[in-house]
Amino acid sequence: MIKKVFEKPLSWFERIFFIDFIRGLSVTIRHAFSKTITTHYPYEKLTPPKRFRGFFGHKVVDGREPQPAFDEWVERFKIEVEPGRSRCVVCLLCKRACPVPQLFEIEGEKLPNGKRRVSVFNMNMLLCTFCGFCVDACPVDCLFQSDIHETASYSRKDSVLTLEVLERIGRDWQRRREKEPDRIWIDDAQRMRLWYENDLKLPEVKKQ
Amino acid sequence: MESLFVQLLVIGIKILVILGVVLGLGAYLTLVERKVAAHIQRRPGPMVVGWHGLLQPLADGLKLITKEDIFPRAGNRFLYNLALVLALVPAVLVFAVVPFGPEFEVFGVKVKPILTDVNVGLLLVFALGSMAVYAIALAGWASNSKYALIGSMRKAGIIVSYEVVITFAVMGPVILAGTLSTYEIVQQQINQKLWYIWLQPIAFVVYMFAMLAETGRVPFDIQEAEAELVTGFTVEYGGIKFGLFPLVEWYVEVLSLSAIAVVLFLGGWSPINIPFLGFIDPLFFLGPLSPFVWFILKVALLFLFVLWLHWTLPRYRIDQITETAWKVMLPLTFVNLVLTAVLAPIVWR
Ligand code: SF4
Ligand code: SF4
Repeated sequence: MIKKVFEKPLSWFERIFFIDFIRGLSVTIRHAFSKTITTHYPYEKLTPPKRFRGFFGHKVVDGREPQPAFDEWVERFKIEVEPGRSRCVVCLLCKRACPVPQLFEIEGEKLPNGKRRVSVFNMNMLLCTFCGFCVDACPVDCLFQSDIHETASYSRKDSVLTLEVLERIGRDWQRRREKEPDRIWIDDAQRMRLWYENDLKLPEVKKQ
Repeated sequence: MESLFVQLLVIGIKILVILGVVLGLGAYLTLVERKVAAHIQRRPGPMVVGWHGLLQPLADGLKLITKEDIFPRAGNRFLYNLALVLALVPAVLVFAVVPFGPEFEVFGVKVKPILTDVNVGLLLVFALGSMAVYAIALAGWASNSKYALIGSMRKAGIIVSYEVVITFAVMGPVILAGTLSTYEIVQQQINQKLWYIWLQPIAFVVYMFAMLAETGRVPFDIQEAEAELVTGFTVEYGGIKFGLFPLVEWYVEVLSLSAIAVVLFLGGWSPINIPFLGFIDPLFFLGPLSPFVWFILKVALLFLFVLWLHWTLPRYRIDQITETAWKVMLPLTFVNLVLTAVLAPIVWR
C-alpha cells in the first residue's frame, strides 16, 4: 500500500522564532564539540577485511594446496612443483575468465628434465577492473587478491605485476593472514565505535 | 605644514594597518572556515601543514599563485580583469568607515581609529555594497560561459532585492541615533546606554538575512550552487584570480558587514549593555585596550555565527529567496520603521 506522507507545516510560533533553524543549529553545535571520528590516513591505516579485493598475488607451494585438484593439474601438465614458488599450473583459465584478457601475459617453459613451470606472468593493473573473475577461475587457488590497496605508482611500468612481485605478495599474505578466520572487519575498533555511538538498539520484542 | 604632515602620516599608517589586517585576516579566515566546517562534520580539517594546519593558508596562496591562469577563448579580457578589481576594491573600501574603537592619543596626536569619519558613512557602505553587483555581472558576462552567466544573473537578482531590504533595515538605528556617521552612531549608543538590538530585534534579524544574501552565504548561496552551477560566476577564473573571488565574497564582505552590524546593533566597541542602565565590562583589566578587544570579539562572534549557519542549513530556491525579500522582509522593515518612529522620543529623552 502506498501511503502519502506530508510534512507538517510550520506553526506561526516556529516561523517567528526560527525554531527549525535553532533545531538544526543545535545539532551541528553538538557535533562540532564532540570528538572527530575520522582516520588520519597516511599516519593511521585501517587493515581491510580478509576478503578485500586489492592487488593480486600468487600463493606459493606450501602443502596447503586444494587437493585433489592440485595433484590432478600437476599430473596433467607435468608441472615442476617447487616449495616456496608459485603454484601456477599455466592453465590460462584466469586469462579466459578475464573481461580484459590482454592484461595477462602468461608463458610457461620446459625444463631440461622434461617438466614444465610458469616463466612469465605479467598482469597490467592499469587495465584491471578488480572484478575478481580470474581468482574464481583459478583451479589451484594460486591467483588471489590481497589487502594491498595503496597502488599508486610513479610510472606505468611500475603498475605491471611480474611473477616475482606476485610471489612476494603471496608469500607475505600467507605469512600474515592465511590462518586468519574469515571475518568482515578485523580491527574494527573504529567501526564498532561508530555503531555504539549511534546507539543501535533493537526494540524489545513483546511477548504475548 | 607640520600638522599636515602628521595628519598624512597618521592616515598612511591607518591605511596600511587596515589593508594588512583585512587581507591577512581574510586569508586566515579560510582556515577558520575549514576548521569550523570540518568539526561540524566531525572531521579534524587541515592538520598537516604547520601545527593543526596553521600554515595552510600560505600553502594555498602559494599553490594558487603558481597555478596557470587560463582565459576562456571568446571572453572579454578587459572586463574579465576589471571584474576582479571591482569586486576587491569596494569590499575593502567599506573598512574605511568602520570605527574600531574610541578616540585615543599617542605622542600628543589625537587618533580616531577610523579611516575617514565622513558624516554619511552608512550611505557609503551601502553604495559600495551595491557596487558588488557590477563585479559579479561583469565576471559572468566576460567569461562567456552559461554557468557563469546564470550564476551572475541570480546573484544580481538577489542583490537588487536585498539592497532595498538592508537599506530599510538600517533605517531604524539611524533614526534612533539621528546620524549617518558610523562613529557617531556608536557614540550615541554609549550616550543613550542602549544597544540598538534591544529596540530593533526585527531589523537585526532582517539585516542578518540580507547580509547572508549579499555575501552569498548559505541559505542564499544560490549564485554558486555547486550542485547545479559548479561555482557560478567564478567558473572560468583560474589560479589566484579564482582565489580572490571567494576571499572577497565570503570573507572580506562578511567581515565588513559583520562590523557594520556590530556598529549599528551591538554598540560598536562598548562592553555588555543592560538597556537604559549602563555597561558592564568584564574585560576592565585590559584598560584602554578593552574597547578594541570588545569590538574584535563581537565581530568574531558574528562571523562564527555566520559560519555556523552556513554549515547547517540547506539552500533555498531562487524564487523563494526573492519572494522572502519582497513579501516578508520588506513589509517587516516598514512595520519596524513605523514602530521606531513612535518609540524614538523615549530613547532621545
Ligand atoms: S580482476 Fe577481473 S579484470 Fe582484473 S585481472 Fe582478474 S578477471 Fe581480469
Ligand atoms: S588460473 Fe591460476 S593456475 Fe591457471 S594460469 Fe591463472 S594463475 Fe596460473
